[in-house]
Amino acid sequence: MSVPLMTVPGEPPAAARTSAAVRAAGLRKTYGTGETAVHALAGVDVAFAAGEFTAIMGPSGSGKSTLMHCLAGLDTATAGEVWLGDTPLTSLRDDQLTTLRRKRIGFVFQSFNLLPVLDARENIVLPMQLGGLRPDPAWFDAVVARLGLRERLGHRPHELSGGQQQRVAIARALLPRPDVVFADEPTGNLDSRSGAEVLGLLRSSVKETGQTVVMVTHDPSAAAYADRVVLLADGRLAGDLADPTAESVLDALRGLGA
Amino acid sequence: MRTVVLAQLRTHAARLIASTLAVVIAVGFVVATLVLNETSRSTVLDTVGARYVDAAAVVTSEGGSLAGDVATLEELSSVGAVAAAYETSVSAAVPGRPGSQYLSVQSIADAPQLRWEQLSSGRLPTGTGEVAVTDRARAEVGDVLTVSAYDAGGQATTSEATVTGIVDLRGDPEAGLYARGFVTEAQARDWGATGPLELRIAAGPGFGTDEVVADVTAAVPGDVAVRTGEEQAEKAAAALMGNATALASVLLVFGTIAVVVAGLVIANTFAVLLAQRTRELALLRCVGATARQVRRSVLGEALATGLVSSAVGVAAGIGLAALISAVAGSNSAIPLSGVAVPLYAVLAGMLVGTVVTVLAALAPARAATKVAPLAALRPVDPAPLRSRPGVLRLVLGLLLAVPGTALMVGGAVIQEVLVALPGGVLSFLGIVLLSQRAVPPVVAAAGRLAGRLGGVPARLAAGNATRNPRRTAATATALLIGVTLTSAFVVGAASTRATATAGLDAEFPTDVVVQSWSDDLPTSLPGTLADLDQVARTAPVTGADVTDPLGDPFYAHGVDAAAASTVLRSTDEMLLPRPGEVVLPEWAGEAYSVKDGDTLTLTGEGRSLPLRVLITGEDQAPLLDAGDLRSLAGDTGLAEVWVMLSETDPDAQVAGVDEVTDLVGEVAPDAQVTGLVTMRIELDEILDVLLLVVTGLLAVAVVIALIGVGNTLALSVVERRQENGLLRALGLTRGQLRGLLAWEAVLVAGVASALGVVVGGSYGLIGAASVLGEVGDIVLDVPWLQVGAIVVVATLAGLLASVLPARRAARTSPVAAIAAA
Repeated sequence: MSVPLMTVPGEPPAAARTSAAVRAAGLRKTYGTGETAVHALAGVDVAFAAGEFTAIMGPSGSGKSTLMHCLAGLDTATAGEVWLGDTPLTSLRDDQLTTLRRKRIGFVFQSFNLLPVLDARENIVLPMQLGGLRPDPAWFDAVVARLGLRERLGHRPHELSGGQQQRVAIARALLPRPDVVFADEPTGNLDSRSGAEVLGLLRSSVKETGQTVVMVTHDPSAAAYADRVVLLADGRLAGDLADPTAESVLDALRGLGA
Repeated sequence: MRTVVLAQLRTHAARLIASTLAVVIAVGFVVATLVLNETSRSTVLDTVGARYVDAAAVVTSEGGSLAGDVATLEELSSVGAVAAAYETSVSAAVPGRPGSQYLSVQSIADAPQLRWEQLSSGRLPTGTGEVAVTDRARAEVGDVLTVSAYDAGGQATTSEATVTGIVDLRGDPEAGLYARGFVTEAQARDWGATGPLELRIAAGPGFGTDEVVADVTAAVPGDVAVRTGEEQAEKAAAALMGNATALASVLLVFGTIAVVVAGLVIANTFAVLLAQRTRELALLRCVGATARQVRRSVLGEALATGLVSSAVGVAAGIGLAALISAVAGSNSAIPLSGVAVPLYAVLAGMLVGTVVTVLAALAPARAATKVAPLAALRPVDPAPLRSRPGVLRLVLGLLLAVPGTALMVGGAVIQEVLVALPGGVLSFLGIVLLSQRAVPPVVAAAGRLAGRLGGVPARLAAGNATRNPRRTAATATALLIGVTLTSAFVVGAASTRATATAGLDAEFPTDVVVQSWSDDLPTSLPGTLADLDQVARTAPVTGADVTDPLGDPFYAHGVDAAAASTVLRSTDEMLLPRPGEVVLPEWAGEAYSVKDGDTLTLTGEGRSLPLRVLITGEDQAPLLDAGDLRSLAGDTGLAEVWVMLSETDPDAQVAGVDEVTDLVGEVAPDAQVTGLVTMRIELDEILDVLLLVVTGLLAVAVVIALIGVGNTLALSVVERRQENGLLRALGLTRGQLRGLLAWEAVLVAGVASALGVVVGGSYGLIGAASVLGEVGDIVLDVPWLQVGAIVVVATLAGLLASVLPARRAARTSPVAAIAAA
């Protein structure tokens, strides 16, 4: 079931280097010092191929959210390096990281995804506007149509259902055509039907437009929508599944003792 | 729960600094106002009314001598001592000084308890041949004065008197007007004093003021007035100050406003503090605290905060008042000397501070009890959205604002500050309530404009600024109050200044007047005086006897209107006759039964001249055109010289008066020099002090407003932590985030200050109209430059207040903000 881990420190395998949308090498994140130090990431080497839908899974405290935050340039690692395409992130200053997030990374969070003062349309174009860019109208229409938001563009977040809000967040993430979309428990606050809808939309954006998506989740059935599952335990890689199903993910998780 | 309250206070002392500061400042404001009010009142009473305040009763007569009543009164058992006031005037020559000068003489009391004179050196006279004088006489202890006293027929007798002491009149604004002498009763009578017209009475041992007044009233004839010493002192002070209550009214206005400001800011601060603590409160509920206990713990915290900060505020207020008194009192005559701390000021400060704090905490405390225990377990609730301004608030606001404004305007029209003041308070409370409706749309409109200039951050800021109308209104209100106050004061002060200056100039149009006892001033005097460096211009006033319609002698002065008007600071209250006109004081008009516009025919030298009558309210000699007087009388003497000094600086003017006095003493020893300019200077200084006091208090109101703005922005930052984190994740740079908050602050502060200037300016004009209407003619004045500066400074202050919260928001990493969700 489990495939050999990528254990070469520093550089990922040459095959991954060319096609990886985002990759990390020797990534460590430590909170505190001395005896009280907690190693949220204890040396992680991982690569995510372009055009692939990957789920990061693991029990609570395994470091999956920390890994995503470091990969997305939201948090800084204690040691190691992260590349977005060919851009190393650890040497970037805060403003450079911010601009990079704006242009090359899309986010979908579990909750509180939208700004309450802006309507759906304004929320969708916000990251581009922050960079002073105008979205391509045709692409905007295409994204909005695919997510079924055409009738909802003038609504404010509190006038939308949870599933609709997540769809607006996905549209916002897709609009700048980022290198990677990071989704952090995107279905955590949704009922199962809305959750399935959101996952289907993420999946189809990968299939139809070649968008790279990295999703953190603890739900095996959500992970089953992905092309690949990366398992994390105690801040280390603990498994890697291709073409996962809910059952195979559950089995793998049991193997971790979760 | 008490342990929780105490632990909260200990742990979060830093958080409470803001609210403590607001209470301290507000209470200090109130106490300083009350203390200064009391201080100025007691100072005015102590100086102008000094001779009355220690008397149990004062008997005054309008004309008849009270000499016969002294013995009767002294026999009353409730009367301890009686001092009869004999007054006269003499001219006195001081050794080493050229010429002689006018000396107003009054008798000192025999009884020690009725002696009010404060000596800076020497002692009071004990017998004839001795005199104590004021500084203005420029004599020293031991000098022997040559005194010329004149009897009713103008016959002079000369005697000598040794100076035994120098009397310090302290802050009496009339001190610089002319020299005064203090002598024994016998000496005063020797120098021609008649009367007395006034008796001061001390109570006998064990008798109270009321008994003395009752006994005295029964013993004296019905046509004389009997007042308590206090009443007489207040009457004297009022006579001098125009209206002593105008001063109290102004301070009362600011005291009232201070309490309103304090309440609003404290409520604001507590709302912020409790919002930051929602989860703590919920945890308390989780572990078993009842809603009642939570409310009591919040109110307990408010009570403790209120008590401690009120105490600090009372001390600070007294200190502030002492400081202002020391700074203002040292270079000014009135109305502040020392500090009078009335018990009611301390009690009022403690009560106002504590009660207002607890009241202001009621609404936040009620909100705190609504926190569900579950809130401790849940992630932070999303920021409340679109709280709707209540209809109740709108109705209440209108109910307060409309009649309040009507009352205030009405008060200004009838010039009654006690009507305008409550009207102003009501309308302001109404406006504060309505601001919740008015501010957000204005901010939104301003935000659309800003969005074009400032891009996405400005547009987001505009949205944020209007999403919680209550919050925005609260923030705006804090600043609105500060700005309203400041602009009301600036505009009010400018009008006060303009009105008062015009009033003083009108009241005392001549800088210096040189008068003779008879019409024998040297005709060269106007020219000689005009040659002095300190003198700008002079105008001669002639005098002569002509004959009135009844055939009696009629003494009149003559001026050349054109020449005279060039030496007067104002001709508003000074009527100058043109050829063919005569200016008569009211008593003369009554004597001849003529009214304004009637004709009075005067004769002399065989000629007769019909003159048009102008009646003046001033007590002055009948005044003709100099040419008319000469043609009637044939020969005229020089009666007065009016002098205008070249300098406007107060110190230089005092020196100018001395220079004129010296010169006149040489060439016309019998002439009297009256420096009206010193009177004007003293009263001008009173105004300066008043303006200084209020400016000090207002600087404080702006600081309170700043605390309010900072607090509300801090609350916004706390509430929008996640939102700001999301924005950072989506690509908002730190600079843009700071810009977002700065724009929000500028929008709210700019709108608040623009509205505040409009509202405050109106209040200032209306307030000035209602307060000053009691004093005299109103001159309204709007200092545009200062008003513009207020808007700029207040907006920048709002910006400044956003710096700390913005730094805090920008420093939070996006992950931390999102993870807290």
